[in-house]
Amino acid sequence: MAEQEFANKELNHQTGISTDGSQFLTFQLGEELYGVDILRVQEIKGYTAVTRIPNTPAHIKGVLNLRGTIVPIVELRTKFGMPTIEYTMFTVIVVVVVKEKIMGLVVDAVSDVLDIDKKDIQPAPQFGAQVDVSFLNGIGKAGDKLVALLDMDRLLTDGDMTESEKIAA
Amino acid sequence: MAKTVLVVDDSPTMRQMVAFTLTSAGYQVVEAGNGKEAVGKVNGGAKPDLVVTDLNMPEMDGITLIKEIRKMPALKFTPILMLTTEASDDKKKAGQAAGATGWIVKPFNPEQMMAVIKKVLPG
Amino acid sequence: MSTDLSHFKDAFFEESQEHLTTIEEGLLQLEQRPGDIDLLNRIFRGAHSIKGNSGMFGFTAVSQFTHKMESVLDQLRSSQMVVTVAITDLLLQSLDCLKTLIDCARTGAAPDEAHVAALGGRLEACQGTPAPGQATAVPAADERSLPPGTHRFTITWAPPRYLFQRGLDPAQFLKELASLGTVTHLALDAGRLPVLMELDPEQCYLGWTLELETGKDLKVIDAVFDFVREDSTLTIVDNPVETHPTAAVSDGAKPLGEILVETGVVSQTQLNQALSQQKKVGEILVEQKVATPEQISEALKKQSECTVPAKKAETPSIRVDTVKIDRLINLVGELVITQSMLSDLGSRFEMSQLPVLLERVAQLERNTREIQERVMGIRMVPIGNAFSRFPRLVRDLSGKAGKKIQLILSGEETELDKTVIESIGDPLTHLVRNSADHGLEPPDERLAAGKPEQGIIRLNAFHEGGSICITVEDDGRGLNRDKILAKGIKQGLIAESDKLSDEQIWMLIFKPGFSTAEKVTDVSGRGVGMDVVKRNIEGLGGTVSIKTVTGKGTTFTLKLPLTLAIIEGMTVRVGQDTYIVPLLSILESIQPKREMLKSIVGKGELVNVRGTYLPLMRLYDVFRLEPELSDPTKAILLILETEGERVAVMVDEILGQQQVVIKSMEQNFRKIEGVAGATILGDGTVGFILDVRGLLNISRNGTAQAA
Repeated sequence: MAEQEFANKELNHQTGISTDGSQFLTFQLGEELYGVDILRVQEIKGYTAVTRIPNTPAHIKGVLNLRGTIVPIVELRTKFGMPTIEYTMFTVIVVVVVKEKIMGLVVDAVSDVLDIDKKDIQPAPQFGAQVDVSFLNGIGKAGDKLVALLDMDRLLTDGDMTESEKIAA
Repeated sequence: MAKTVLVVDDSPTMRQMVAFTLTSAGYQVVEAGNGKEAVGKVNGGAKPDLVVTDLNMPEMDGITLIKEIRKMPALKFTPILMLTTEASDDKKKAGQAAGATGWIVKPFNPEQMMAVIKKVLPG
Repeated sequence: MSTDLSHFKDAFFEESQEHLTTIEEGLLQLEQRPGDIDLLNRIFRGAHSIKGNSGMFGFTAVSQFTHKMESVLDQLRSSQMVVTVAITDLLLQSLDCLKTLIDCARTGAAPDEAHVAALGGRLEACQGTPAPGQATAVPAADERSLPPGTHRFTITWAPPRYLFQRGLDPAQFLKELASLGTVTHLALDAGRLPVLMELDPEQCYLGWTLELETGKDLKVIDAVFDFVREDSTLTIVDNPVETHPTAAVSDGAKPLGEILVETGVVSQTQLNQALSQQKKVGEILVEQKVATPEQISEALKKQSECTVPAKKAETPSIRVDTVKIDRLINLVGELVITQSMLSDLGSRFEMSQLPVLLERVAQLERNTREIQERVMGIRMVPIGNAFSRFPRLVRDLSGKAGKKIQLILSGEETELDKTVIESIGDPLTHLVRNSADHGLEPPDERLAAGKPEQGIIRLNAFHEGGSICITVEDDGRGLNRDKILAKGIKQGLIAESDKLSDEQIWMLIFKPGFSTAEKVTDVSGRGVGMDVVKRNIEGLGGTVSIKTVTGKGTTFTLKLPLTLAIIEGMTVRVGQDTYIVPLLSILESIQPKREMLKSIVGKGELVNVRGTYLPLMRLYDVFRLEPELSDPTKAILLILETEGERVAVMVDEILGQQQVVIKSMEQNFRKIEGVAGATILGDGTVGFILDVRGLLNISRNGTAQAA
């Protein structure tokens, strides 16, 4: 049983798609709950000041020295077009690994790790969420909670993170 | 107790390969890059149960080393194997005259080398 | 037991490179000192080691070819042959061939067989007598292929008396024989024992007679006595026993077809025909509709994937003196001690202990700095490795160009980063070729100019500050100002009206497509190269400069950073942000006066630095930062240069100078225009290193958009 679960996770990790029951790290942005596949999460750390990167979009917060490695930090609120807020003691950086690159996501606060069954995951509705649904894998239901499950591959490799972009006029 | 083999060759690759083969077979290995170094190792306290030496080396060649070893009371009867590329009898004869026990012809594979070693090393 | 030695291949290739260098250097020196036996021995040993080692890995092409070279070298060192130019030429060519063969062995590429055979033939021919066949790579006889059958051998053996002096033990022989089969009878022959008074306990007087039943044949039994056969009295009598049926089978059953042919049931032709009709398993399965052809081909693909081992990426390795490593270990030990003293202090700290704390921190700093230096030192190798190819090159060049050239090397022991060394080989080669071809005059011209017939090319390396300088100097004709100018105008690189300093004119030869050679030679003069030299050196963060005196010669000076991982940088501040400017690109820093500034519509701002107008770039504009100062006369202008282009970059303040370790931005993010990389600053935050070329690009695009 445990092995089966592990195998599923392995599969999920490889495909990046939730095919079966999975664990998700959930975090808050405003009132909404979001989830990322726990296998993508490397660590969670408190917010520390970052160095701004010249000529990058606003949601690229900057870079951080993570034990000698330079790690870009993305502000998810800005990325999703939500208003920015003052950082609090709950503001954290979720460090994730996406296609062998390490990145940090600034979120309002982390919540639980939830088990969500495949049958409890539904396709994201085309409206209603504040988020561009193309960044979502679906909406998961855990108890009475609804979790927007993020498609990390699409979210963090949609151009501004990888290729050198032109200087905006 | 594991038997100790003194491996003498100026080529580090060859030395490493011989040493690796011997260690894999459970022997202890002492390495030297030429005859002079080998003599130094023995004078420094190394007590080999077997010596495997190349012939062509700088500083002190294999033949001289064999003669030197045979002069040492402690190693008078210790088996010495020469590594030689030649199947030529001259080298073998010169080595035997100097006191070598036998030879291993390069190229050899680990099994071939171990077969020769088993031939001369009791145990 | 199967011990896999294949992972020693990398070591073999690395070691071979060293032997190749030794052989090449040796051969070149041999021309000057043909009678030097030590030198010949050294060359011989190099070849000998390659031969022996390559055989171990089954690189027979390499070992066979080296064997031929070795035979020639052996005759040279035993004075059976004399060193002549023809022979050194042949050996050098063979060496090149050997290099290629070794490369082929590494990459798995197919060597040029004809070329190898031709050179091999010449090597054999020059010895007068043909080489005695294949002395190397004799595979051990495979005893399983011998006809089966049980033998009863009667072996009578009286070993030589000196048996013990050779480290041999009669018991070993008996044990080995016993391991081959069953000893049915053993008798001791003590007939040679002398009377006690005459007995030397270190001599062997005994003999044995034994009977051995075994499936092995005579050859195997005989081989037991390989090491003593010469002086032994040995007889081995073979009494074949009637073949026991099981014995034959145990040695490997024959294929059915073979037996049928032997017994005359079918003929060999019939058998072959039948065998040719035999189908492959896959075909049969497809016919029986058990599997589809797709499934079969898929499975076959899988099979071939299994059998072809994945090509292993070559991991570059570096050889480090154990002394260097030992020092490093000591330093780490010190670091650990300092650290434990500090944590001890921290656990019960009182303000009164502040001086102790400061002292410990200073200690920590010293440790850290020293470790950093030593770790960088691990990558440092003497530049001599890069120089070693030049004696050969110059020898070849002087032959081709019909010039007499002496090459003088100095500073070979100067150390620099391995990656830098690997990258400067080609630029240096080009500069040396250039000096040999264009710099030095032909002998008659030199004599007419009152110079010695033999020209000199000097290669030197030395440290200067945090950089390493490499000079390529010739005593040739010097650069011709007028010729270069004329060519530059003709090529449209400059206008006739341009007023250029000498230095600017010399730098023209680094422009792409520029070549003043009157005739295109084999050596250089194709108009490619000098620009590549400059680009490569600048790619390494270095510079090239030229000094030349007409009729006296030319010197090219390459200035390179010691390592690529660490650069010397100037930290500057713009508002809240800190940036690092590579020191090598900074010419000077100024605080401009109002009258030096000028603004031109469509061209942006300019600043007049001693008569030259340079574009002024406000870093906060380019990077969209919030500056503290927006008035250039209050701020600082850094005059930066890259690829001959200058620009004044405006920042708020210069903070200081420090060494920074370059970190990749691309590893987790992407390239940022204007940023060469990132680094960790003293406070643990990230700082960006400016890329001057990139800044110029941004500012150019920016102005284009503004216009």
